Amino acid sequence: MEVKQVVEVATKIGELLLSSGAEIYRVEDTMRRIGAAYKIEIESFVMPNGFSATGKTSDGKMITCVKRIKDRTVDLHKIELLNDLSRRIEAEKLSYDVIVKEIENIEKLPYFNFPLRILSAGIVAFSFTQLFEGTVLDAFFAFIITCVIYVLKEKIEKFGFFQFFEYFISGFLAAIFALFVNNFIWTVNIDKVIIGSIMILVPGIAITNAIKDALYGDIVSSLARLGEALYIAASIGVGVGFALTLGIGWVTL
Amino acid sequence: MGDTMREFLLAFLGSFTGAILFNIERYNLFWAGLCGGIAWAIYKFLVLFSGRAIYATFIAAVFVGLYSEVMARRLKTPAYVFSLPGIYPLVPGIMAFDTINLLTFGKLEEGINKGIETAATAGAIAFGILLASNFYQVLDKLISETLNKKTKK
Repeated sequence: MEVKQVVEVATKIGELLLSSGAEIYRVEDTMRRIGAAYKIEIESFVMPNGFSATGKTSDGKMITCVKRIKDRTVDLHKIELLNDLSRRIEAEKLSYDVIVKEIENIEKLPYFNFPLRILSAGIVAFSFTQLFEGTVLDAFFAFIITCVIYVLKEKIEKFGFFQFFEYFISGFLAAIFALFVNNFIWTVNIDKVIIGSIMILVPGIAITNAIKDALYGDIVSSLARLGEALYIAASIGVGVGFALTLGIGWVTL
Repeated sequence: MGDTMREFLLAFLGSFTGAILFNIERYNLFWAGLCGGIAWAIYKFLVLFSGRAIYATFIAAVFVGLYSEVMARRLKTPAYVFSLPGIYPLVPGIMAFDTINLLTFGKLEEGINKGIETAATAGAIAFGILLASNFYQVLDKLISETLNKKTKK
């Protein structure tokens, strides 16, 4: 394979890894190992929202590639498959066409279908409401609210609002629904219902991963991730606070 | 005891379905859920006995780190497949939300306290997992090296 093709394949895999939520060191390491399989030295600088990588052959040819990543999700299955692919590239030195085809397959692959994911989001809310000392009834309403929010969030994502809007509106809706349930259907512990139903949104894993990055020595990306997590928490918090303030005024009227 | 069992099952369910949202391989789901369930049980148990939540979180995270390394070796998948769902019940997501919520309602002092608690919890989890998994990997390397030496002799 030529330098160009190797760098193209390596950065494509790096991009997919990063957008599936892989750690920084894993992305850097994978790209370096893919390059090494074809005797090309790949040096990269990876940040949470993009990276640049340079491939260099032994006779001094160089090529650089910059990638910007827009949306990041957590998709462990994709990371696992990409990991396997990079191992195979290392061991068998696959040809360019084969690798491109494999990457296409991995990119397309849907795993769990949408209804199942909605149901799981609901069950997450159901169990965590009870773990945070809510009653079974609270958990039941949190289940319904989360299912609704999960669908709406997926829909809102497609409209192309600014990045934190979906978190704001989800938090807002969670609190509004909880208030609605409390006032018109059944008296519940509002704060427990809200906490349970935003469990799938809050950036707990993101904060922990940010500190993990710092412990590996990737200070810049650690701070970036920590900042992002704080903004997400702030968006949800402001959304919920806004709804509660409205709700309190409305109840006392 | 019955209450602990109930919480164990709930944490299992939460991690199991959380793992579905993280998109992990079907046949690993059960083991990922089990990791979360046991981690939460350890956490609850230690909080009950010592009353120190961050210490309990740290020990639970150490367990998650060890469990996921052992399971990763057994089932031949990367360790994070188990460690991410495993820490899902422990991570301070709601705590971060509480921090912001307290701040938006003008309770600055309580908010800052919550914020520090959030940072400490996240630090305890990250440090616990990394410590356990690195320790396991080094130990594993040492054992396999000494075994190799013995077989060569």
